Amino acid sequence: MHALECEQLTKVYRSGIRNKREIRALQEVSIAVESGQIFSLLGPNGAGKTTFVKILLSLTHPTGGRALVLDRPVTESRVRRRVGYLPENHRFPAYLTGEQVMMSFGSLAGVHRSALSGRIDQLLTLVGMQEWRKVKVRKYSKGMMQRLGLAQALVNDPELVFLDEPTDGVDPVGRKEIRDVLRNLREQGKTIFLNSHLLSEVELVSDRVAILDKGKLLKVGTVEELTTTESSYTIGCQGPLPDALRTEADARVLGVTFSAEGVVAHVADPAALNAVIDLLRKHGVLITSVTPQRSTLEESFINLIKREIPS
Amino acid sequence: MSILVLIRLTLRELSSKVTMYILAGISTLVLLGLALAVSVDSMADGEVLKLFGQQVSPPVPLEELAKAVQQMQAGLAGGLFTGIILFGVFATAGVIPDMLERGTVDLYISKPISRWELLLGKYCGAVAAIGLNIIYFLAGAWLVFGLRCGVWDINLLLSALTMTFMFAALYAMVVFFGTWTRSTAASIILTYLYLFILGGILHNRELTLYLISENAVYRGVIDGFYYLFPQISGMQENGAKQIMQVEMDWKPFLQSFFSGSVFFLAAAVILKRRDF
Repeated sequence: MHALECEQLTKVYRSGIRNKREIRALQEVSIAVESGQIFSLLGPNGAGKTTFVKILLSLTHPTGGRALVLDRPVTESRVRRRVGYLPENHRFPAYLTGEQVMMSFGSLAGVHRSALSGRIDQLLTLVGMQEWRKVKVRKYSKGMMQRLGLAQALVNDPELVFLDEPTDGVDPVGRKEIRDVLRNLREQGKTIFLNSHLLSEVELVSDRVAILDKGKLLKVGTVEELTTTESSYTIGCQGPLPDALRTEADARVLGVTFSAEGVVAHVADPAALNAVIDLLRKHGVLITSVTPQRSTLEESFINLIKREIPS
Repeated sequence: MSILVLIRLTLRELSSKVTMYILAGISTLVLLGLALAVSVDSMADGEVLKLFGQQVSPPVPLEELAKAVQQMQAGLAGGLFTGIILFGVFATAGVIPDMLERGTVDLYISKPISRWELLLGKYCGAVAAIGLNIIYFLAGAWLVFGLRCGVWDINLLLSALTMTFMFAALYAMVVFFGTWTRSTAASIILTYLYLFILGGILHNRELTLYLISENAVYRGVIDGFYYLFPQISGMQENGAKQIMQVEMDWKPFLQSFFSGSVFFLAAAVILKRRDF
């Protein structure tokens, strides 16, 4: 089952009265997210990530396309009883205490008052805010606001949670705690939709990742799929490599570099990889492994965005 | 249930603002002053109503004293309404623009409530806050007049409802300006512009705008504008009549109800169409 599904989602902002300027924030984006996954949306500033989430929460109206959340159209307000949301740069009413925020927004989310107090206790403990519950939020730090925001997003025990930059302003220990909360939610079968700039964080928790740039969906896949460099392989070798091998490899322009771990082959296709392996065997080299090279998510992300710049 | 939560939140929001305490403080000071100033003296030729020791009514028999007190109450209620318009609008104009601020509106709209419910909850909360102030003042005045003059007139208490209705009709316009401009300052300025300039011109249109042209279409448009806005002066006059137990004309109230509904609906449509 899909927790959310959208087809050809498009959003065009128009500004100016006489010379109407068009900004294409989303261009025919189609994404489906399976239930029980942590799905992350990545992209540089202005890529359209927040617009995408806002459409799914009915904060923004799409110009075209179709979007379903938990199998219901996003315009149905009732479906949001089953959804939680932590907006980026959220502002809770400063005159409320943490507990009052939870009580008020929990009631607005449709949670019965009798069920709320137990739930609030549980969530404030989970995010480490129990001792601050009676303090007005105007006295909270950025990190504390994020923790409270996360608790607020979970107050209605949602099936699907949208988190926009959840670790923004949170210290490293707090980030680890938030990651643990997310993993725990996934174990409970919840779906988490994450918007984040922190690629290393995303890499640690996400099941699937989508990359968005200038409103276009560039790639969707698992972290492994996105970080695997298709054309580079590390070939593990035992013993020293003969000089004749180096000379022949250079002469035949096989795209081979030599390192302490063995040989790194930069090849266009499997046939070229096999040609390198044949060469190694011809020179009597004992091959112990052939591993596709992996880059970090950050490297893959930057490479993908750079490739798109000329277009 | 969501609307009740929003009303409670709005009451909390307003009670955290210093302007509401100033409003309550001014009401308290006026009531204390009134309690010290107003008195009734028995003279040989009848009862006399006094303010700061000065006679403000001719000697009347005891049974007619209530009339003189009612006149004073009507004057006081008129003053209160002017104060409420000036201060109440100022104190509550920020409710909608504050809600529509980035980071706040996201929290509300992502909840399972429709946008018009959101607007209605906030509207009712602000009207309730001002209504409570009006009740506080008029109940206090009722006690003062009862204890000091022996006149316990229920109409003074009932006028709290009328006055709250008047504010509610006006506040729908403030909500419209707030939703449209998303600015507290602009809402206050536009509302005051209507109250102090446009409202007066439209109310006296026969002496002002009608002089520009005799064209029936032009005058029809002017009349349309007049009826589009809440009938503040008409309601205020009839509010005084209620206290003085004179027959009231309900037309300004009906027109203001219509006007308030139009402004509220227009605000709801703007909010529904807006992207955040």
